[in-house]
Amino acid sequence: MALRIAAAAVLIAACGAPCTAQSITGEVDVTGGVSTENVRAGSTQARVFGANASDWRFFAEATWAAVNGQPSDAFGAAYPYEGGIRPMEVYAEKTFHPRSYLLGVRAGRYRTPFGISSRGEYGYTGFVRAPLIRYGEHFALSNTWLEHGVDLAAGWPRLSVETSLGVPGDEGELHRRRGVDGTVRIQGYYKALIVGASRLDSGRDRALGAFAKGRSVFNGVDARVTAAGIQVRGEWIFGRPFDGVTTTGGYVDLLVHRRALGIVTPVARIERLDYEAGPYFSLYLKRVTGGARIQLPGCFTGQINAIHQPAGLAHGRKNVIDAGITCSVRR
Amino acid sequence: MGYVWVGLLALVLIGGGAPGIEVPGSATFKDKPLADAVVWVDAPDIRQEHPAPEVTLDQRNLSFSPHVLAVRVGTTVSFPNHDRVFHDVFSFRDGKRFELGLYPVGAVKHVPFDRPGLSRVFCNIHPGMAAYIIVVDTSHFAVSDRQGNFLLADVPAGTYPYHAWRPGGQILNGSADIRSGSRLDVQWR
Repeated sequence: MALRIAAAAVLIAACGAPCTAQSITGEVDVTGGVSTENVRAGSTQARVFGANASDWRFFAEATWAAVNGQPSDAFGAAYPYEGGIRPMEVYAEKTFHPRSYLLGVRAGRYRTPFGISSRGEYGYTGFVRAPLIRYGEHFALSNTWLEHGVDLAAGWPRLSVETSLGVPGDEGELHRRRGVDGTVRIQGYYKALIVGASRLDSGRDRALGAFAKGRSVFNGVDARVTAAGIQVRGEWIFGRPFDGVTTTGGYVDLLVHRRALGIVTPVARIERLDYEAGPYFSLYLKRVTGGARIQLPGCFTGQINAIHQPAGLAHGRKNVIDAGITCSVRR
Repeated sequence: MGYVWVGLLALVLIGGGAPGIEVPGSATFKDKPLADAVVWVDAPDIRQEHPAPEVTLDQRNLSFSPHVLAVRVGTTVSFPNHDRVFHDVFSFRDGKRFELGLYPVGAVKHVPFDRPGLSRVFCNIHPGMAAYIIVVDTSHFAVSDRQGNFLLADVPAGTYPYHAWRPGGQILNGSADIRSGSRLDVQWR
């Protein structure tokens, strides 16, 4: 039902008077990947976006994926790898720029605007996996959490506040409970530095059963700095997925996009996650990733990651190689 | 009487001589109208021209707009972000090389283009975003519209070399005889 409301919001917004699209663009990403964690995966994402004459923007995206092998977070950087064809973001938005101010409104189904959250900053950047603290099955804040609601952003480019109010519409294996779901994010920008702080207050996974009571509350800080083609970014997130437990963790990414390196964009990540849930259930995860995104001829982009995870993951091997190749086409 | 001559001389000096000619033209590729072709003529300026102080390559709706931007040497191009997501604009090959880093909606960055050449512009986050900035050392240039038509303004009469470029194609070079009523049609076959 909520998804229908989201789709209706998009249609109404996209068909504001006059109901003629000024521009429509379609993109398709097709990916195949293998991991030495005994995982093989294939996926396709298709998205359509555009604007009408009043500059109302619309965006709709669907994903299909199939995974073969043992449970793993490989290839889950920005999209779920189960569930067949699934809708992802489906929204309409408009941004106003009165004088130097900024006011943006978005309605529909969109990624939870907590921290570094856009698909473009996780999908196909060079990392094959989501950060540990952004993978739902680690009792963390999932990259595939979505909201059905309304999102408002206001402020200036230098300092803005974004608030989202809605109900969860998550993808992936673990879904939050129905109910009102709010996120607030404040962001500052100065020269090459972007910093933010976020808070999410939401229901928690229905699938976890009766022991998972209470609301899910997460707080986080994030930063990105880019200079001379080198980007350093990271997040530190802490909170409780439900009453009686805590999840704390973060990551730091390095992405080196320099002309001298040609088609290769080296990437590296160091991260950890502590899930405190008493004896037998706690998780203490650490992981180091080194890899690259490689721009290949034509539509193809390769990603390769070497991962060392000295502790914690039940199904994980200590040393893993992930590799994927994606063809991206825009029309 | 002497004042009249002085006035006429002043008019010539200020006005820069004879008025220029508007030269319409068309660009075609395999006999079909071609949008986003850039045509320029190596003709002298009629008036003391200054480069446009700033032109814009917008980031809007996960696309660059326009897809092809032609500017004169010395022009500063602004790159505003009108999307709610970050963009990271860069150009690494040929022409002007730059990387602007991440910046949010509402923010603007600026790049001066100080020599002729072609810059291929991309976003490091959104691989589907691509644009071209072609920098020419003349004020007589135009970009063809969707119907393949363009208009070169204020070209002095004479015979001049012309050049034409299209995305993914070879540069065409030729000679254009510019006079009243003349056209300049460029064809890639």
